[in-house]
Amino acid sequence: MTYTISAPPHKKDKLDFRSLNLSKILALLPLCLVAIYFFGVPAFGIILASVLAAVATEFGIQTMLKQKLTITDGHAAMTGLMLALLIPPEAPLWIPVVGGFFAIAVGKHVFGGIGSYIFNPVLVAWVFIRSAWSSNMIPLSIPHTGQFSDLILEHGAGLMVDVSPIALIGGVYLIYKKYVDWRIPLAFFATMVLFPQTLLFISGVSALVHDGVLNPLMYMSQLFIFLSMSPEIPYAMIGIVFFGILFLATDTPTSPVTKTGRLVYGVTCGLLVSIYGYFGNYVDGTLYGIFLANCVASFIEINTMPSSFGTQSLPQKVYRRVMDKVPASLKFEVMKNE
Amino acid sequence: MVSLRGDKVEIKTLDKLPEKIIIPLRQHRGMVCEPLVKKGDRVLIGQKIGESKDYNSSAVHSSVCGEVIAIEESAHPDGNKAMSIIIHPEECDETVAFSPCKDLKPEKLAELIKESGIVEHYGMPTHVVLKPKGKNIDTVLINATSSEWIGGTFKTPRDYASQMMDALKLLMKAAGAKKGAIVLRIDDKESIDAFEGIEVDKKKLRVAPLVGSRRIGYYFREQSSDIVVVSQKRIYGKKILNFFTYNVTGRKVDIGCDPTDVGVAICSIKSAKALYDAVHEGKPYYETVVSIEGFSDNMEYIRVKIGTPFKDIIEACGFTGEIGKIIANGVRTGVAQYTDLVPVTKGTTRISMQKPEEVIRDESVACIHCARCVDVCPVELIPSRLAVMADQGRFDECRVLHIDNCIECGDCAAVCPSKIHILQLIRYAKDAIEMAYEDMPSKESSNLKLGCACGGE
Repeated sequence: MTYTISAPPHKKDKLDFRSLNLSKILALLPLCLVAIYFFGVPAFGIILASVLAAVATEFGIQTMLKQKLTITDGHAAMTGLMLALLIPPEAPLWIPVVGGFFAIAVGKHVFGGIGSYIFNPVLVAWVFIRSAWSSNMIPLSIPHTGQFSDLILEHGAGLMVDVSPIALIGGVYLIYKKYVDWRIPLAFFATMVLFPQTLLFISGVSALVHDGVLNPLMYMSQLFIFLSMSPEIPYAMIGIVFFGILFLATDTPTSPVTKTGRLVYGVTCGLLVSIYGYFGNYVDGTLYGIFLANCVASFIEINTMPSSFGTQSLPQKVYRRVMDKVPASLKFEVMKNE
Repeated sequence: MVSLRGDKVEIKTLDKLPEKIIIPLRQHRGMVCEPLVKKGDRVLIGQKIGESKDYNSSAVHSSVCGEVIAIEESAHPDGNKAMSIIIHPEECDETVAFSPCKDLKPEKLAELIKESGIVEHYGMPTHVVLKPKGKNIDTVLINATSSEWIGGTFKTPRDYASQMMDALKLLMKAAGAKKGAIVLRIDDKESIDAFEGIEVDKKKLRVAPLVGSRRIGYYFREQSSDIVVVSQKRIYGKKILNFFTYNVTGRKVDIGCDPTDVGVAICSIKSAKALYDAVHEGKPYYETVVSIEGFSDNMEYIRVKIGTPFKDIIEACGFTGEIGKIIANGVRTGVAQYTDLVPVTKGTTRISMQKPEEVIRDESVACIHCARCVDVCPVELIPSRLAVMADQGRFDECRVLHIDNCIECGDCAAVCPSKIHILQLIRYAKDAIEMAYEDMPSKESSNLKLGCACGGE
C-alpha cells in the first residue's frame, strides 16, 4: 500500500481565499438589493457593468501574460462590486466599465496582483474616475442621519452604499465569524466617534478660556460634553463611512499585519476620515482618508514589529523600576497566611 | 487537537504477537547504541540489547521474548532509516529478573535512568536532562499539559496524582534539584481534581493557575512548599521547551540554549511513569501507551511493546479501509510515514490515520496579508513575513525577526487561507541558520551572533 507523505501540518482549516471573497460578496448582497430597489434599473446596470468589466479585465490580462487564471477566486468580482457601489446611479454606463478596468489593470495587476498592491484597487479606480470625470461622479445629495429610520433606509442617499447602513450588517457578521479581523473596524469606529466629541470638548474649554473663567470646576464640567452627542456625529454616521470601516479599511493587503499595527492603522483611518469629513463631506472624506491611510500602512507595519516574547515593554519597564524601589512592607500582595 | 475523550477510557493491550518486532538502536538524540546481541541469539523480555558508552545515550531493551533474526537498517518513524534489531517473537512471558531498587543514592538513580532506557518524548535521554554536564539543575518540571492521566497505567486519577508526585520526588533527587513542579492543562478538569489537595510533606497543595506575572516562583512562596502543582494553557509544538520554561518559571532561555542552561529540567509524564516503574518494579522502559486516531471520532488508547510495527497496531484496531496517510505524533506536527512497517519507539505518542479523501491537496497562492498567522502565533512572531524571507533565502532577516523563538506548532500553516507552507519554510530557514553555525569558523562569527551566548551548547 502506498501512503502520501508531506510536511506537517497534516490538517488545515477549510477556509481559503476564495471563500473569503465570496463571503464578502454575500455580505454586500443585501445592500445591492436595497440599492436596486431604491434607484431602479440603472443601479443594476452599473453593478453589472462594473463587475463584468473587472472580471473581463482580469481574464484578459492573465490570458495575455500567460498567467494562471484566477477569476474564480472572486477577487475581481468583489472589487468590481465594491466599486459599483461608489458610483452615482445616474452616471453613464461607460464610467463603471472604465472604473472596473482601471481597478484591476492599474490598481491590482500593475502592482503585482493579489497581496502585492499597496493601494486598495477600489479606491485607486474611484480616485481616478472621480478626478477624470468629476461632473459624472458627484453624487446628487450627501446623506445626513437625522433620525433613526435613516439608518434603515436613507432617503438622501446619493450613492448606492448610502441607501441603508443597516444592510451592511453582514460586515459585522464577518467580523463575528472571524473572516475579518476586529481590530481595524473597532479602532476606526471609536476614533470616528471620539474625534467630534473631543473637538466639542476643546471648543468648550477654549470658549471658557476666552471668557476668562478661573473656576476649575467649570473646566471640569466640560467633561460632561462627552455624554452629549456632537452635532457632527449624524453627518459622520452614514452608509459610506460604515462601508469604509467594514469593507475598505479591512482590505488585508493594504493594512498592516502586526496586532498593534492594525489598531494604529484603524486610528489613522479614523483621524484622516474625520478631518476630511469635518472640513469637507464624509462621502469624499471616507474614500480619500482611507486612500491616504493606505500610504502609511507599511510604515505603521515596520514600526510595530513585535519583540521577542517575554521582552518587557516600556511601560512595564518603568513599572518594574518604580516597584523595585518601593519597600516590601508597603507593597500590596495577595498573600494568604494560612 | 482537542482530544475527544468520553467519561470512560479503557486502555487496550495489544495481545496478538506481531510477526516481527523492530527495535531501533537509536530512540533518542545522541549516540547510537551498539548491539549487545548477535543474529540467532535468544532474548528475553526486558533484556538489554543495545548500549553505548557515551553519556549522551540511553540503553535499549527487548520488549519480547524471541529470536534475533537480523540486525539491519530499518525504517524509523522520524522519517529516515536507523540500525535496528529485528526479533521474531515467541509466545512466552519469560522475563529477566526485575529487581526493584528503592532508596538509591542520587548518582545511582541517574545511572538507573540510563540503564532503564528512559528518554523524553522530545528525544533527549532523561538522565542527560536531569544531570547535564557542567550545568546545575535547580528546578524539575513535569509537563502534563499534553497527556491525560490515562497516559500511563493508572487505575484512578488519585493513583495517577500520587505516583506522579513520587516520580517528581525521584526526578528531583536524581537531578539534585531543590524545587519541582507539575504543570497541568488548565481545561483538564479531571487531572486538576486528582491533584487538588494532594499532600506533600504533610502539606496540602492546591492547583494554582499560572496567570499574569505569577509564575511558579510566586507559588513556591505562597504555598511555602518546594513542590507545587500549577496549571496553564496547552502548548504544543516541536520546540516548545524554551517557551514552556519561560511560561512556567519566568526564566528567559537565550536563543540557541536549552532549558538546562537556566537550571530547569523538563520531563514528561511518560518518562516520570517509566522512572516510577523502574524504581518500584525494576522494569526497564519497553512498553508504552499510544493513542490511535482516525478510525472513529473517539481516540483509542492502546498499550504496545516498543518495536511493534504500526501495521500490527492498525490491524489490531480493526481498521480495514484504505489509508491515505499514516502520521506519527499528531496531525499538526507529526511525520507522515511512507511505510506501515515503522516501529513504535519511545518517542511515539500518537498514530493518526487519514483516509485518502481526507488527505489535503491544496495549492499555495500569494499571501494576502490577512494576518491570521499573526493572530494565532503563541510566541508573537510574524509568520507570513518569516515565510517570505525564508523563501527568498534572507536568513539574517529571519533572525532579526526572532525566528529562533518559533515553537513549530504549525498553527500558522493550518489557518492560512492562501495555503502557504509556512511551517515548512520556517523550519527550512531555521535549519539553514543552524547549518551556517556548524561550519562557520569561530573568528568569522563576530558580525553574525549565532548560538548560545551563555556558554552552553
